[in-house]
Amino acid sequence: MSEILVEHLTKDYGHGRGVFDVNIGIDKGECYGFLGPNGAGKTTTIRHLMGFSKPQEGHTSILGKDSWKHSARLQNTVGYLPGEVTLPTGLSGSAFLRMTEQMRGVKDKEYLQMLLDKFKLDPNIGIKQMSLGVKRKLAVVTAFMHDPDILVLDEPTSGLDPVMQKTFISFIKEEKQRGKTIFLSSHIFHEVDAVCDRIAIIRDGKIVSEFKSEELKQKHDRIYRVSFSDLESYEAFVKKPFTFTSKNVNKLRARVQIPAAQVGELISSLKGFHIADFVEIPFTLEDYFMGFYDTGHHFEEVKK
Amino acid sequence: MSDTVISVEHLTKDYGHGRGVFDASLDIHKGEVFGYLGTNGSGKTTTIRHMMGFLKPNGGNVTVNGLNPWKNAPEVMKNVSYVPGEIAFPDLKTGTDFFKVQAQFLGVRDFSYMNHLIDILGLDPSANLKRMSKGMKQKTAIVAALMGNRDVLILDEPTTGLDPLMRDAFLELIREEKSKGRTVFMSSHIFEEIEEVCDRVAIINSGKIQRILNLSDFRHGSVRSFEIELSDKASAETFRKRLPQSHVEGKRVRFEALARDVDSAFKALEGLKVVSVSEKHPDLEDYFMETIQSNNSEEDSE
Repeated sequence: MSEILVEHLTKDYGHGRGVFDVNIGIDKGECYGFLGPNGAGKTTTIRHLMGFSKPQEGHTSILGKDSWKHSARLQNTVGYLPGEVTLPTGLSGSAFLRMTEQMRGVKDKEYLQMLLDKFKLDPNIGIKQMSLGVKRKLAVVTAFMHDPDILVLDEPTSGLDPVMQKTFISFIKEEKQRGKTIFLSSHIFHEVDAVCDRIAIIRDGKIVSEFKSEELKQKHDRIYRVSFSDLESYEAFVKKPFTFTSKNVNKLRARVQIPAAQVGELISSLKGFHIADFVEIPFTLEDYFMGFYDTGHHFEEVKK
Repeated sequence: MSDTVISVEHLTKDYGHGRGVFDASLDIHKGEVFGYLGTNGSGKTTTIRHMMGFLKPNGGNVTVNGLNPWKNAPEVMKNVSYVPGEIAFPDLKTGTDFFKVQAQFLGVRDFSYMNHLIDILGLDPSANLKRMSKGMKQKTAIVAALMGNRDVLILDEPTTGLDPLMRDAFLELIREEKSKGRTVFMSSHIFEEIEEVCDRVAIINSGKIQRILNLSDFRHGSVRSFEIELSDKASAETFRKRLPQSHVEGKRVRFEALARDVDSAFKALEGLKVVSVSEKHPDLEDYFMETIQSNNSEEDSE
């Protein structure tokens, strides 16, 4: 049985915004990645899962309980990290944590202390004095303090610094090992890549692709970024019959994506050119998915 | 120097408990894109807020175009576009309403640049301000700030919440601004974007500037290590004779080269059949992590 279930979810906000017939099933112990451009419907889907919005059609449930009907219970059982965090400004971080602890009836103080240590958070300052990144850390600790079995994370590392992003990813891996079920929405391909078993792409409110991340990793395309020292070399190179994922004439460099078997051809085609640099770009989801991101929308101008 | 646009000299702001900024010095030149990297709470926003004249230093000096922002805020702001790290919008209905108010406030009469920004970022300004997703809010904040078309851009984590395509569009905007001779100061957590657009980058940790890095030196200076697999052992031997600093392991050759020496190293491949090429190089991320970690371990041992 799916622990997190979205069936035929539709919510039409008009002007093509919203989500349309979205279906997702996430099994126990699975980590599910949810990728998509800004405004594609990621947060809308998550808000339905948490019971903040009522579906126009279809329904969502967590552990078999309908999200909308059991909204209040979900808030205290699911580990939910919202994309935008609003915290009460009149409190200190520790007062806020104590309040949440009581609300959820948390008994285990050790787990909270472990989180504070892991994320290097000193909660003994006023929330008002906290920087954006520190507030994000407080939100992370608050979401996980009751050691929930289900984690619903909306762009969890946005605003976290690179060191904390790494800490966060390793934390998610540990939680996965402990058998937690995780729903993770993100823009950051490498974090989805690092932790997710399955990945869905949402665009314009519809799921356009869903696959196992293993399958993608088995595609062995190589990506190289070649820079040239003169314009002639650059221009001659970009006319070659390779797949170029980006070209930059100002910097005289291009990214080329080729199957591993054709690397020899690439090298011999460089003969006679003046190369300024040659680097390999590790294959990432980003290269694979940028195509899904370009929606080509144009909107009306602001007139006086 | 005469072409200094933003100058931070020995800036200190002590919030207690080791928080704040301590003796920070930066010099941002005209036409430069300057990046600012650091962990959460390391003092990036505090530095920026001094540049904007929101805060008064405990010690040291900040000037923008030669003026003290704390004393001459209105004068300084005439030349500065600012994207704050945390956004709060006024109580207006749509993005369009907000842009009109903002245009009036900034004295923008010609809307063509504003509409150019809206177009590049793919923003629907008719959307309800309160119902905007996080990414849309960020785009709205960028348009609202940059529409002033000012000479100095001060941007606090401008790409937070933007999807990768929008980040690329934003970086394109920064390049446009740079080509107009504008000066850009931006903080960020994303190494790729700093590497893409910045001329120099400063790394701040625990309120102290640790390093200022010239990214062009960094790009050209860093060492590439290659591992190339050739069709047979004889080819690998041939290669080693042509490039004596390489190591051979069966059909594989390994060697290190500076970016500018890659050309001659590749010449040594002529006539040989290449099966695979892999390459590794230290990037800004490696450098940043190293700086932060060595700095933290020093502090621990104190």
